[in-house]
Amino acid sequence: MKTDFEAVIGLEIHVQLNSATKMFCDCPNRTGDEPNQHICPICLWLPGAMPQFSHEVLEKAVRVGLVLNCNIQQQSAFDQKVYYYPDLPKGYQLSQAHQPLAKNGWLEIIGEDGQSKRLGIRKIHMEEDVAKLVHESDGRTPISLVDFNRAGVPLVEIVTEPDLRSPHEAMEFIRTLRTYIRYVGSSECSMEQGSLRVDANISIRPKSSDQLNTKVEIKNMNSIRNLGDAITYEIDRQIGSLISGDPIVIHTRLWDPEKRVTSPMRGKFEGPCVPDPSVPQIAIPDEFQNKMRCLLPEMPDQKAARFVNQYKLNYEEAVLMSSERDLSEYFEAVVNRKVRPRTAAHWIATQMVPALKERNQSLTDTPVTPDRLANLLTMVEEDKINANSAKEVMMRLFETDQTPQAIVEQWGFKQISEISELENLVDEVLSTHSSAVNNFRNGQAKALGFLVGQAMQASQGKANPKRLREILTKKLG
Amino acid sequence: MISDIFFYMDSSPPLLAERGPLAGKTIAIQSNLSVHGWPTNAGSIALERFVALEDASIIERVKKAGAVIKGSTYMSELGLGLAGDTGASALTENWVDMVMMTDTMGEPRVSASTMGVYGFKPSYGIVSRYGLIGLIPSMEGIGILAKSPEEIASLMETIVGRDDRDFSMPECEMPNFSQVHTPRDTMATLGVVPECVKTLETDESEAFNEALSTIKKAHFKIREVHIADFDLFRTVHNVIGAVEASSSSGKYDGVRYGHRTASAKNWNEMYIKSRAESFGLLIKTYLFQGAYYQFENYNAFVNACRIRRRLKEEVNELYKNVDALVFPARRQNMNASKASTIGEVYDAFALTLLANVAGQPSVVIPKFIINGKTDLGLQLVGPWLNDAQLLSIAAGLAHYIEGVK
Repeated sequence: MKTDFEAVIGLEIHVQLNSATKMFCDCPNRTGDEPNQHICPICLWLPGAMPQFSHEVLEKAVRVGLVLNCNIQQQSAFDQKVYYYPDLPKGYQLSQAHQPLAKNGWLEIIGEDGQSKRLGIRKIHMEEDVAKLVHESDGRTPISLVDFNRAGVPLVEIVTEPDLRSPHEAMEFIRTLRTYIRYVGSSECSMEQGSLRVDANISIRPKSSDQLNTKVEIKNMNSIRNLGDAITYEIDRQIGSLISGDPIVIHTRLWDPEKRVTSPMRGKFEGPCVPDPSVPQIAIPDEFQNKMRCLLPEMPDQKAARFVNQYKLNYEEAVLMSSERDLSEYFEAVVNRKVRPRTAAHWIATQMVPALKERNQSLTDTPVTPDRLANLLTMVEEDKINANSAKEVMMRLFETDQTPQAIVEQWGFKQISEISELENLVDEVLSTHSSAVNNFRNGQAKALGFLVGQAMQASQGKANPKRLREILTKKLG
Repeated sequence: MISDIFFYMDSSPPLLAERGPLAGKTIAIQSNLSVHGWPTNAGSIALERFVALEDASIIERVKKAGAVIKGSTYMSELGLGLAGDTGASALTENWVDMVMMTDTMGEPRVSASTMGVYGFKPSYGIVSRYGLIGLIPSMEGIGILAKSPEEIASLMETIVGRDDRDFSMPECEMPNFSQVHTPRDTMATLGVVPECVKTLETDESEAFNEALSTIKKAHFKIREVHIADFDLFRTVHNVIGAVEASSSSGKYDGVRYGHRTASAKNWNEMYIKSRAESFGLLIKTYLFQGAYYQFENYNAFVNACRIRRRLKEEVNELYKNVDALVFPARRQNMNASKASTIGEVYDAFALTLLANVAGQPSVVIPKFIINGKTDLGLQLVGPWLNDAQLLSIAAGLAHYIEGVK
């Protein structure tokens, strides 16, 4: 019976923009610092203060609109969303209810069937974040503290059409959206850290119907996986209600990541939205929009195609190297220093990325700059060191500021490629492991591997493995 | 008594500047304009103990121009109406040369006509509102009381102009107030609105007509122009004003400054009780009206905004044929300082609030329309940004009257 229904899902996504300042004042946009460090009369809304709308915020918001294929509106305006709560000391939130910044966009995702599917975006509007309440219940009287660092931090809210049909589509939509917004540099989009917050509106209808039934909103999903699980749970819950004949009423539910269920939350108060007279109308002339469009970076799918063409990466490598803007720029910086693209892609994917993760570093702040990695990989390509030693050198690049060449010299990682030196090594191994030699001559091919290993060990890992194998084979044969 | 007039006086010895266009001039402000370190309560218990953290932008400007801010006068709660206002007395009792007071619906202009001085409201947006603790952001602005149009112009010259802390100001060429000092022999045409005149009592309109004859004798032309929906200005001001007041007073919660109730069970009750104990009946009524339009009758607000745009366009049309409109500033029997209900307040300002709704400059000339012993105040309203021309016309009329006397 469950299969007779389908889910209709729309998302409301809040993205915290990473502008240097808050939306209406010059306070730093840094929410995580010591409470109430970044505050001023404007973001505290003290009497007499007036909002001063940041141009940088507008640029970052317009970039989000453009990359999500929206029509940027020539005129948009702020409204006051009226509600009274301690996180909002002026009694209203500045938001764009009546004239949003952008409308009618879309994003393409790969559906469960492997086909691409275009999902509609209804509108994108800007709004200010509110203060953060910290509830403390340790003392005799529970108290709530207010941290205004977050008050006035810029957000964009992205509202999709109810075009999504499954948890998979919701998760894919958010993954794609995150990649795109990170690419244009407007936000870090971390669900875990709260710079990306996703609410989902879900309703159920019989398959082949096109009606929109009563929807339920779910909140508080702090990872993409939780988003998928919460939607799955909510779909099952609603179908269960339908089958057992319980009515579905419009309300909001909170996802509990521990118990992995949604439960109803207190009904929220919907206040009116009144045009704000203090922030001027925002006019976006075509020339500004065109300029912003020109400044958009190459997007991941275009970039992957170019990597296949220009650098002859295979498709998987190209997708991986273009999945993040920093990564793609790092990759190209290494390639520009005359490293074979596939070597660079391979080393970055298998060595650099895990090493960075382990050290909690990013490609932009790591001491292993593209220059140093390129020098190392050039030595590998020129057979000056072997792959094993190169991995050792790379680990040392994280700890010292020496050049790869200096590390190789100092620690003796230089590869032994001299034929005479390698022949001496081989002779010694053959004489000390006569039984293995006999085994090989009696047809046990894997004894060769053992002998190569012994010779490598005797060279302390520095022998050129390819030449070593050649000499061994020759001497045994 | 000086203490009956000033809510706060600057106790530091005045640094009389010898230079600057306003050198030697003294100014009184209201207690809703921020001066660093001054108690700034805007006439409300809701702002009890609030001390301004910085100077308002225009305070910075007048200080730099050499003027001395002598103190702040008592004012009506949050600047709505004139109950308890002592701004004009500071001028008429010669404590200061000029007064800066908020024009929310015509307060300085009505006050001027009552007290026999000049009152001025500039075009909306040409004077920074940063540091002004206001009530109705889209209609209010700083106004001026002085003893001559020239003095008003000299203060305007200092405070006019863009301010990078008030983003709501338009990017346009600002009026040049230096030309007001030499009143031109203008042949201005002034428009009379019959839809306004017909709201007056017989003796009031007789006094007004007499003033019009004087204007003609001063070689100005008078022309009849029509605003069919003149009575709607009042309705529009009331609906939009109440809504904006409700929003902009949302911040008075008694948490960081202002009166806080003695005891409450939770934050919500603390807000409600603190606000109930803070606001006077008049403001309470007004905020209640605003909340009604916001929450229960939003359509009325949308309609008011639409009608406001239309009224503005209609008035702007009139300026194709006249240089300014002429009205009395107030009604004989409507006492602004005694008005105790929203209805009475709107009665008292029914003739001045047009300029607030339309954002246009307006000046009131005293001793021009006299009805028996009552000065009704001759009010001129001009096109947006034509402040200097308007003051020139006022100066011309003032000089004529002086000459006749």
